Amino acid sequence: MSREGFVPPTAANLGNAASGIQSIKNYGVKYVCAQCAVNFTLSPKEPVRCKECGHRVLYKARTKRMVQFEAR
Amino acid sequence: MAIIRPSFANRGASYTPYGVQLRSARPDQSSQTNALHYLSDGNVTFRFSWRKNEYLVPVTLILKALIETSDKEIFDGIVGSDTENSFLTDRLELLLRTFKKYNLNTNKQSVAYLGKKFRVVFGATPDMSDIDVGKEVLHRIVLVHLDDNHDKFRMLCFMIRKLYSLVAGECSPDNPDSTQHQEILLGGFLYGMILKEKIDEYLQSIKLQIQSDITRGIAVNFNDRKYMTRVFSRINENIGQKLQYFLSTGNLVSQSGLDLQQVSGYTVVAEKINFHRFISHFRMVHRGSFFAELKTTTVRKLLPESWGFLCPVHTPDGSPCGLLNHLSHKCEITTEKVDTSRIPTALFKLGVKPPASAISAAGPGTCCVQLDGQIVGYCSHEQGRIIANTLRYWKVEDEKKYGIPLSLEIGYVPPTNHGQYPGLYLFGGHSRLTRPVRYLPLDKTDIVGPFEQVFMDIAVVPAEIENNVHSHVEFAPTNILSILANLTPFSDFNQSPRNMYQCQMGKQTMGTPGVALTHRSDNKLYKLQAGQTPIVKANLYDDYGMDNFPNGTNAVVAVISYTGYDMDDAMIINKSADERGFAYGVVYKVEKVDLSQQRRRNDPITQHFGFGPDDSPAEWRNKLDEDGLPYIGVHVEEGDPICCYYDEVLGKTKIKTYHSSEPAYIEEVKLISDDNGNQECQSITIKYRVTRSPLIGDKFSSRHGQKGVCSRKWPQIDMPFSETGIQPDVIINPHAFPSRMTIGMFVESLAGKAGALHGIAQDATPWKFSEDDIPADFFGEQLKAAGYNYHGNEPLYSGATGEELRADIYIGVVYYQRLRHMVNDKFQVRSTGPVNSLTMQPVKGRKRHGGIRVGEMERDALIGHGTSFLLQDRLLNCSDYTHTSICRDCGGLLTTQVSVARIGGGESMRCRRCSVRVEGRGHRSDMVEDGDVWEDGAGKRFIGGGNTTTVAVPFVLKYLDSELAAMGISMRYNVEPK
Repeated sequence: MSREGFVPPTAANLGNAASGIQSIKNYGVKYVCAQCAVNFTLSPKEPVRCKECGHRVLYKARTKRMVQFEAR
Repeated sequence: MAIIRPSFANRGASYTPYGVQLRSARPDQSSQTNALHYLSDGNVTFRFSWRKNEYLVPVTLILKALIETSDKEIFDGIVGSDTENSFLTDRLELLLRTFKKYNLNTNKQSVAYLGKKFRVVFGATPDMSDIDVGKEVLHRIVLVHLDDNHDKFRMLCFMIRKLYSLVAGECSPDNPDSTQHQEILLGGFLYGMILKEKIDEYLQSIKLQIQSDITRGIAVNFNDRKYMTRVFSRINENIGQKLQYFLSTGNLVSQSGLDLQQVSGYTVVAEKINFHRFISHFRMVHRGSFFAELKTTTVRKLLPESWGFLCPVHTPDGSPCGLLNHLSHKCEITTEKVDTSRIPTALFKLGVKPPASAISAAGPGTCCVQLDGQIVGYCSHEQGRIIANTLRYWKVEDEKKYGIPLSLEIGYVPPTNHGQYPGLYLFGGHSRLTRPVRYLPLDKTDIVGPFEQVFMDIAVVPAEIENNVHSHVEFAPTNILSILANLTPFSDFNQSPRNMYQCQMGKQTMGTPGVALTHRSDNKLYKLQAGQTPIVKANLYDDYGMDNFPNGTNAVVAVISYTGYDMDDAMIINKSADERGFAYGVVYKVEKVDLSQQRRRNDPITQHFGFGPDDSPAEWRNKLDEDGLPYIGVHVEEGDPICCYYDEVLGKTKIKTYHSSEPAYIEEVKLISDDNGNQECQSITIKYRVTRSPLIGDKFSSRHGQKGVCSRKWPQIDMPFSETGIQPDVIINPHAFPSRMTIGMFVESLAGKAGALHGIAQDATPWKFSEDDIPADFFGEQLKAAGYNYHGNEPLYSGATGEELRADIYIGVVYYQRLRHMVNDKFQVRSTGPVNSLTMQPVKGRKRHGGIRVGEMERDALIGHGTSFLLQDRLLNCSDYTHTSICRDCGGLLTTQVSVARIGGGESMRCRRCSVRVEGRGHRSDMVEDGDVWEDGAGKRFIGGGNTTTVAVPFVLKYLDSELAAMGISMRYNVEPK
């Protein structure tokens, strides 16, 4: 599994991180097949079907975006 | 089964309460009940029901119709050698003599007579002769479990003799509420019966269709393809749909009623709240909804006959008590008929005389040997006992060698003084309850049933065995209990209702509903986040693998009245324990969003998930991804978007919002394809995770029926501490114990503490300790070895002052369950809110943000206390208080209206009834001052009616007034001061 979602802080984007700005990069939404667990993307208006096994139920993959909650 | 039931006498004149009933099951388990009624003159009638109608036939007619027989043969078959018994012979003479008036002598005549009478009922076609119809009646109605008419004849004779014995008082009636005479209606057999009937209905409807075609003069040609498709197209062949209806509603739609007593309530939803609940559903037996309405409670009674078959503890209290039972954990239901083909040969070898050669054998004097309701032969009672014992030895020793199946039930009923009708009854059929016990002569497992158990000597524990008395011994005394009742630790120390409560509460615990939670989409699923295995557990806990489904948490519990917040079954939770995750749970909710629901079938898709080209608010993007679906893991609150879609017709991107006052996290988004799998996404399911940390008001319970509500989360620094520095997770009040007598909880606390100190799992199986070997000593020694007080008490120090408390406090480890009743689902508050538009009174219901009604009784209490201002506040000011204008002159509430404002004067309240219409402008207008005229909204001019005032009334009064006005009743109010 690639880890392209996480961008380690570098000198360039450290300022962003400090000020709380997220650099959202769009890599397309990923889906996971409910049967064979393969990862793939799906463009809009494409039929809901696994590219590998043809299963018709897909999960949305967890976001690679930083998810942050207030821990109180 | 011999029955004395007063309602039998209601069937007609000369009917008596005496009857013998036999539920006869066909090989497919569909059944037909046959009953014999005793008439006061000594006659016997045969009763059966067919398509929900009852029919009564003289039994002699049936006997004569079954086989070619003579009166002598009938006499011998019933009386046997008891010719001295004048009670019997008199009645038999009468039975045979009264039949003479039918003038049916031969078998053929009788069958034809029967056929003639039942021709219409059975819907027989004209090409069938009366004899054919009669044979069909006998085949379908009379003792359907037997094929051979001779067998049926003998069985019927046996039933008649049993009936006469019952009337004479030679034998006692059988108890239909006892497990001894009961079988279980299993789902599979029921489905089979329904399918059978539906297929029959289908065939009948084809017949009817063709018949109506014939009468209508349509050419009927079975070889014509077109005609046959027309026939089939007019018939509903969807049997699966009917079965689906049955499964989803539990309603039985049937012509015959399937010989069952109820029409609805056959199915329950197997709820997956936790594993206890789930597994209990599959061990549950209901007596039938017919008995739920019965006023007598005898059916609910716990009978000793059910030992080891039905759990005495695991039944709900309240209305279904004793009707809704659970099987004991070792009890099994036979689902297959065992091979009994070699048994008759074995019986004959053992000295049973076949019925053909034992002509004069009948009645309670001889032992009648029956196998699954078929008379195999006769022998003496002494022989019967020996045969029963021999059969049992053989079946346990080697079922293959002797051909006696192990699960054969050998019910030997010995001759007794007015007891149950004697005989040797063998059963190998379906749906019987069975359970294993140890057979002492061979020290091997025997399978016993409820019929034979009554007449057997089974020791509960080995110590109880007496020579020449006991033939069996229980494997464990806990075999009496169901799975859930077995899981209650030290349940033998508790007062029995507490164990019942635990069986109920175990089923409403927030535990682990299953292992594949990620793949489930239940509407609502409760889950305990960090469940633990109990330190104190019964041996069955591991046998049933309950560790896969943890149901609670071990907690250090101090029994002390510490803060005053633990009154009345409240409990205090250590705040830090809560913060460490004690009893933390989540609720998973699933919502389905289906865009195709809004359009008709085969219409083109106009709504697409995702953002459209139009401008949409940027904050939607905080929750929603590119595809218009929420990010996994995002936090949503009420009103937040959960998905968006672009509507082509409107050219707008629209959102669906989250509708729940409780914030949640998006756990999972599932994209679901349509049936063909070639469409773009139209339906999704969103699984929310609602966090449910323990709150004040949440319900908890130990495993001893000791439930309580969390009343406070007490800071750890203020909690009492022991000499070793232990601080309790939970504090409960000592008053919870004296009246409830849940000593098991004390023992669990002790055992849990010792187990925690030594790192061992304690065995809490009931009936392991005795008077000489008490658990207090056993666990006391363990505590002592760990350096603790022998009795489980410890000096505790006040968390607030640090002083030692003046009494030693009982502190230990108890397994606590978190129950699914939580304040978040229940709290209801309202100050102002929605009102009913008709009455202007507040609405009711928590969902609608309504109020709680102050009813008549609350009103009475307030009156009784003289708190009239409070009463007025509740009933008027906080309800439908309104200002309205009223006419002082006519007292009308409805006649007032607002006049139109004019130059030089504002609007005013006028009574329409008390004012006079001013016609035109010139005419009569000179008589009135122009300033006195007022105008209504329609431009009509009036004068007068100005004597109005404003009063405060409940709004419903106005409503009542207008309702009465519609009836032609006018209400008049006297307004004071004038």
